[in-house]
Amino acid sequence: MRIVEVILAPILALLIGMFFLGLARKIMARIHWRYGPPITQPVIDVIRLFSQKSVSHGNMFTLGVLFSLACSLVLILFLPMGKICPLSSSGGMLVILYVMLLAPFGIALSGGEAANPNASIGISRKLTLALGYEVPLLVILLAVMTHYKTLSIVNIVSMQQNTSWALTSLPLFLSGIAYILILPAILGIRPFEITQAAQEISSGPMVEYGGSFLALATIQHGLNLFIGIALFVNLFLGGAGNPPIFFLKMLVVFVLGLFINAALPRLRIEQAMRYLWRWPTLIAFIGMIIVLIIRR
Amino acid sequence: MDRNQIIKWLKAPAKMGHKYSLHAIYFCTGCGIIEVPPVITARWDAERFGVIPVATPRQANLFLITGYVSVKTLKAIIRTYEQMPSPKFTVGFGSCPINGGMYWDSYNTIKRLDKYIPIDGWIAGCMPRPEAIFVAVTHLWTLIDKDMADGYKRYRSNYHLYRANQEQLFGELEWPPLFPLEDQVEQIA
Ligand code: SF4
Repeated sequence: MRIVEVILAPILALLIGMFFLGLARKIMARIHWRYGPPITQPVIDVIRLFSQKSVSHGNMFTLGVLFSLACSLVLILFLPMGKICPLSSSGGMLVILYVMLLAPFGIALSGGEAANPNASIGISRKLTLALGYEVPLLVILLAVMTHYKTLSIVNIVSMQQNTSWALTSLPLFLSGIAYILILPAILGIRPFEITQAAQEISSGPMVEYGGSFLALATIQHGLNLFIGIALFVNLFLGGAGNPPIFFLKMLVVFVLGLFINAALPRLRIEQAMRYLWRWPTLIAFIGMIIVLIIRR
Repeated sequence: MDRNQIIKWLKAPAKMGHKYSLHAIYFCTGCGIIEVPPVITARWDAERFGVIPVATPRQANLFLITGYVSVKTLKAIIRTYEQMPSPKFTVGFGSCPINGGMYWDSYNTIKRLDKYIPIDGWIAGCMPRPEAIFVAVTHLWTLIDKDMADGYKRYRSNYHLYRANQEQLFGELEWPPLFPLEDQVEQIA
């Protein structure tokens, strides 16, 4: 049974991630009053990219993409989605804390091998941004762990289902708000689309990716969307008893994120850092203190 | 998507992928580029056909040359073309790349772009309407279906001729040949 889940979970996540990418393009088109591409467009793109001849720029270039993809797949195995939770036994949260930083790192290693100046700017932006959202994220996860006195996401989900969603309960309310504030940065959507800015640095770390490397990077982007939202749904929206409800909750969060994406322009990197280390971090710290006081 | 297409997708997924996901890189050489923003934005919305602009040649498979090509930009065009990954299609936009257009007697523009890089299709007109790009895209689909959009294969098999033309124009080229040239092949053999 567990083996079936280990195989099923990444496939499901892949499908959902690709669906999200397609939905993003369709909804953005509709907001622009365009008709938009078919919703299967990312899948078509990936098929096309795999059939193209791809140029590798060295061993690290190849391995870095695979490394980052592997990190995302590992993360998915530790995230419970509804009843599907392949590997999440006791310490799921710790794994997520560690591995979440590694996925952007893989892309950074691989893009760096290409030795393109645009790629290096993109990488420095990507790692700086990761540093920006990891600080509030750590505080938020710490608050959640302290409140529920457990490291296991499965337990957190079941405790929320017995009482109420963490976002609506008093001690974790502020942490939830802080997570919402950093969610666009985790997903890499528009106010924080700084790493991939196609207009200024020719899509950043992706600048030398072509063929199957770009396909793998697209898939990784889809999985990254899945992870950021799934973590939020699990920790603050009470997870779900069964997969369909879980995916419905993810869909609602993602569509709200898309509206933010459509409405806001891109920040500069130092503006993004100032924002990330000011408001979300402050709110997360206050949330942490409230959790500590209530625990007393 | 009708039922016909599903069979086609199963038979040749790569070909269908190339048809419906044309990621275009534009070369803003001439006046023709002014017609491209309406095509990719809300008025004509090329994304319906899977055509979107990308930022780098590595991610692209459609090369739109919009307008006259001066000798200096031709160098950049050749290098961009050679950087694109292999099944790639080129479309000349406007009459200037076809035969010089209104710059037919200029000392500084290329009269026939086809001599330097292979072109899969032309859009005539000075300048063509945005709708012409969609006509070109649908024509390109038919060409891809019939395996007639084979510019990249022609470039490979006739590379020594293209390279000779390029060298005739520029003198020594400062980049190494993309494919082994004819005489080098003989030397190896
Ligand atoms: S064909 Fe006409 S519009 Fe196009 S580049 Fe030449 S002169 Fe300009």
